[in-house]
Amino acid sequence: MNEPDRDERLAQLLDRTLRGLPPRAAPSGLESRVFGELARRAALPWWRRSFAHWPALARTAFVIMCGALIGGVYLSSGWTVHSLHDSGALSNTAVREALALATATGELAVVFAHAIPSTWLYAGLTAGALLYAFLFGLGSAAYRTLYLMPQAGK
Amino acid sequence: MQTPSTEPSNSAEFTTFMRAYQDMVFSTAARLTGDDAQAQDIAQDVFVKAYENFGHLRSSPAAGGWLKTVARNLTLNHLTRYRKRRRLFSELQSDGAEEESPGIDPVIPVPDTVLEDLSDDERRSVIDDGLRRLPEHQRLPLVLYHFEELSYEEIAAHLRISLAKVKTDIRRGRAALLPLFQSRGIAP
Repeated sequence: MNEPDRDERLAQLLDRTLRGLPPRAAPSGLESRVFGELARRAALPWWRRSFAHWPALARTAFVIMCGALIGGVYLSSGWTVHSLHDSGALSNTAVREALALATATGELAVVFAHAIPSTWLYAGLTAGALLYAFLFGLGSAAYRTLYLMPQAGK
Repeated sequence: MQTPSTEPSNSAEFTTFMRAYQDMVFSTAARLTGDDAQAQDIAQDVFVKAYENFGHLRSSPAAGGWLKTVARNLTLNHLTRYRKRRRLFSELQSDGAEEESPGIDPVIPVPDTVLEDLSDDERRSVIDDGLRRLPEHQRLPLVLYHFEELSYEEIAAHLRISLAKVKTDIRRGRAALLPLFQSRGIAP
């Protein structure tokens, strides 16, 4: 018997044997372990659970706080740079050039932002929100049909 | 995200659900890991996830497929993390060397049947013991191919290895199992 034939026969033999094998019995303690873990998780305070399980109010407050933090960092960094500039601490040429570049980029962005008509801006934001909602819905539908029911036809 | 209620009726329903599938989930994890303790940890994680999605699964005809897929993916993730943690790169290097030099498998006559004289429990015991003895790089693709019914291409994608290596490892895994089965009393 040549080598490919032998491999093929062995594959078929093991395939028949392995696929016909009944599953192993799960340990008797598995059930209690699962319920123990579920009870442990249920006993956790909400702030120690994943974000998806937080109360809606807490999630909203968290998002607002994050936004405020980002805004605060942005404003305070600008204030810090101005303070350093005024105090003459930015004497290093490289730092000054980097600062000038950042300022110029920022000003360019502001010019572009002002150049865009407000109608376009609102239309763009609306289109973005609609696209986001559409893709979110599409993703959810795909998850339900392709992932939750992967072998419904089998 | 839907959170299942913790009412007693729901717990009873989930217990029934778990009893229906726990053998399959545990078997999947145990055959891939070759280790019962790890398999039990993974099975626990699978059912915790199932509980979180019980709203969908309780009435889904595809719940078994969902559980099998989650069990397989969690096991593969677990093995990847475990391998990284223990720095088993030497094994991967030796795998690469094997791919380039196929070597010679021992030529053993292939019988027509295997383990057919044994009862289901005995046969399962012999096979699970054999799988446990295989090195991980042979056991994983072999189990994914024969038990999980994945194609060579899917296995290569899951394990992030080449198609040629998948085929080589499966062929060698089979060749390594055969003498073990023969030593346990199959009819040649």
